Amino acid sequence: MLNRNARLTAAAAIAATGLALTGCAATTGESGSGPANITFWGWAAGYERSVALWNESHPGIQVKYEAIANGGAGGYDKMLTAAKAGTAPCLAQIGYETFSSFLAAGLLQDVTEHAEARRAEFPDWVWGNVGIDGKTFGVPVDTAPMGLFYRADLFKDAKIEVPKTWEEFRTAAAAVKAADPKSRIMNLPTDPYLYAGFAWQGDAPWFGVNGDSWTVTMDSAANSKVAGYWQGLFDEGLVTSHPAFDAALYTAWNSGEVWAEVGPVWSASLIRDNAAGSAGKWAVAPMPRWDSADSVGNSGGSATAVMKGCAHPEEATEFALWMSTDDTSVSNLIKSAAILPASKSGLASTALDTPESYYGGQPIYQLFRAESAKVNPNWRWGPVMSTTASALGDGLGKVPTGSATFQDALTSTQTGTVTALQAQGFSVSK
Amino acid sequence: MSPVTRQRPGRVRELRRAAPFVLPFLLLFVVVYLVPTGYSVVQSFFAVKRSGLGLGGAETVFAGLGNYARVLQDGDFLASLGRVGFIGVIQVPVMLGIALLLALLLDSSVSRGRRFFRIAYFVPYGLPGVIAALVWSFLYAPTLSPIAGLFASIGVDVSFVTDGALPFSIANILTWAWTGYNTILIYAALQAIPEETMEAAALDGCSGWKAALLIKVPLIRPALLLTLVFSIIGTSQLYNEPVTMKSVAPNLPSTYTPIMAAVRSLSANDFNYAAAQSVVIGAVICVLSVLVFRASARSVT
Repeated sequence: MLNRNARLTAAAAIAATGLALTGCAATTGESGSGPANITFWGWAAGYERSVALWNESHPGIQVKYEAIANGGAGGYDKMLTAAKAGTAPCLAQIGYETFSSFLAAGLLQDVTEHAEARRAEFPDWVWGNVGIDGKTFGVPVDTAPMGLFYRADLFKDAKIEVPKTWEEFRTAAAAVKAADPKSRIMNLPTDPYLYAGFAWQGDAPWFGVNGDSWTVTMDSAANSKVAGYWQGLFDEGLVTSHPAFDAALYTAWNSGEVWAEVGPVWSASLIRDNAAGSAGKWAVAPMPRWDSADSVGNSGGSATAVMKGCAHPEEATEFALWMSTDDTSVSNLIKSAAILPASKSGLASTALDTPESYYGGQPIYQLFRAESAKVNPNWRWGPVMSTTASALGDGLGKVPTGSATFQDALTSTQTGTVTALQAQGFSVSK
Repeated sequence: MSPVTRQRPGRVRELRRAAPFVLPFLLLFVVVYLVPTGYSVVQSFFAVKRSGLGLGGAETVFAGLGNYARVLQDGDFLASLGRVGFIGVIQVPVMLGIALLLALLLDSSVSRGRRFFRIAYFVPYGLPGVIAALVWSFLYAPTLSPIAGLFASIGVDVSFVTDGALPFSIANILTWAWTGYNTILIYAALQAIPEETMEAAALDGCSGWKAALLIKVPLIRPALLLTLVFSIIGTSQLYNEPVTMKSVAPNLPSTYTPIMAAVRSLSANDFNYAAAQSVVIGAVICVLSVLVFRASARSVT
């Protein structure tokens, strides 16, 4: 009996080794057991093409890309419900702002053992967005450091210096209004995730990890400083208050009633596509700084996350690393989605040196390449960001009507977030 | 043999004959209605327990009425119920009043171009709700609105998206979209009134508006009741219009209506609480519908 059991164990062990070997050999496509199949949900332009490039050169690991709705527009809800139903994909595009929420919901697969070796290929602050406690759950694809987009023609005509600090920005704001009473320097950032970029830069974190509990610090003094700055510009009538991403704002960009936008790298296409009438007149400068602190904010960017239940986490990680670092894949993503790559090799791509005609021939991505090294590393997203962001959006939405301030919005979001975290069973410490 | 047992074979045969007609409906009713409802009710009695940062995954535990206690303490959710109640109390009577008036006009023997108006009234209903809300959003958007622009040119400052104006702006979209639909329902009921009844009324000297209000309206009471219940259910489920308008009215909170609040819980991965919220919405609608039916049944008898 014992003998038979031992033999069975040996057979099982051999079979398992065999499987493991085929797993390794699968990339060459010579094994008989068929390729590893990996499903990948995402929405960004260019992903499908990168997947096709991979599938051509890697017959042993076949990735099946399925385009879904943009995360914030229902994509994340689809992933959450799929995870609940047990039909989640192996890989999913998840923005950094939502990554922590998926992590805290226990939906992501720890792939540290497969990814750790290549960690050095990414800047530290970026890698910090795809894990916690030294563990890794995905691979960063792109980042979105912020910059100052401005109407070079109008600034020049009015002889206003392009502001380098927030103090200079306030002076410039007053000068713009003085030069043309109908115009303002910028639109008030009332979108919660856009506003987060300013808090990020201002060394005003919202969340942190303290041992085994979360900390929420949206009502900190550092946050009050950033909030107070924007409230000040609004109270002095130096900014417009159109809804974020609204046609009214685009019209104002086009007509020269709003002269600048401090926004993430993807604002480049947002402005280009929505203010076609002012082509060639825009330029990009570094984001204004807080006094002497040479750091910038980030607002956006996403990762390829490995979801729990994935049958081939190693192969999935291998693909995700390839998509973010391989030259053909990264060049494709830069070209079709105008992303700023997260990996160091991707950042070195010459595709980022192209002059942009909309920006008067300025090679704007060179600037963002340099700025991406200066992103403030002390930022962590919270575990239930959809609640935090809607609460903050609700609060900031009231600012233009005058019925609430930036500080009110932060205070109520702090309370709402802590309540939501506790209701869901997270531990929260002060 | 008792009469009851004698009846049995007949009923079984009847049921067997009816089965092919009823089963497809029953099957769909069970699969897309009863099962999800039951699942939501079950989910609403559970809660997810996490510990620390949540990385260890979650454990589902029985929570009894815990989620319902949370609903009752959720100020945002209760406010959303109040808001929709307010919109409904204003909008439903106005809409049904207009619908009844239009239907009576269509039905009246002196009106012309009936076929045209029948279609014209119905057209807004044919437009998908989100598209209609988008178009209205442009008409409401403070800097783009041609209506606000017109008022501004004569020196009057009008905004459709202030906190105070929002319920009325939304009620206006609902009225625009659904009046025609209700008009057609009421008109169909008017058409079913026997010609002789109206002739008899005319002989007795009752005609025109008097006949419409005193004879036609009481006769179509069941249709009016039906439109009332449909409207109450529809307004309780308000979602498309406010969500679409949020892009031009950032001051519109993300928990404006009960369904928006439930969707927000779902996005927060708080499925069990979202289920409890949904069950409460369903229960409120159910109770309201029963009350309306009951009240009207009493007044008819």
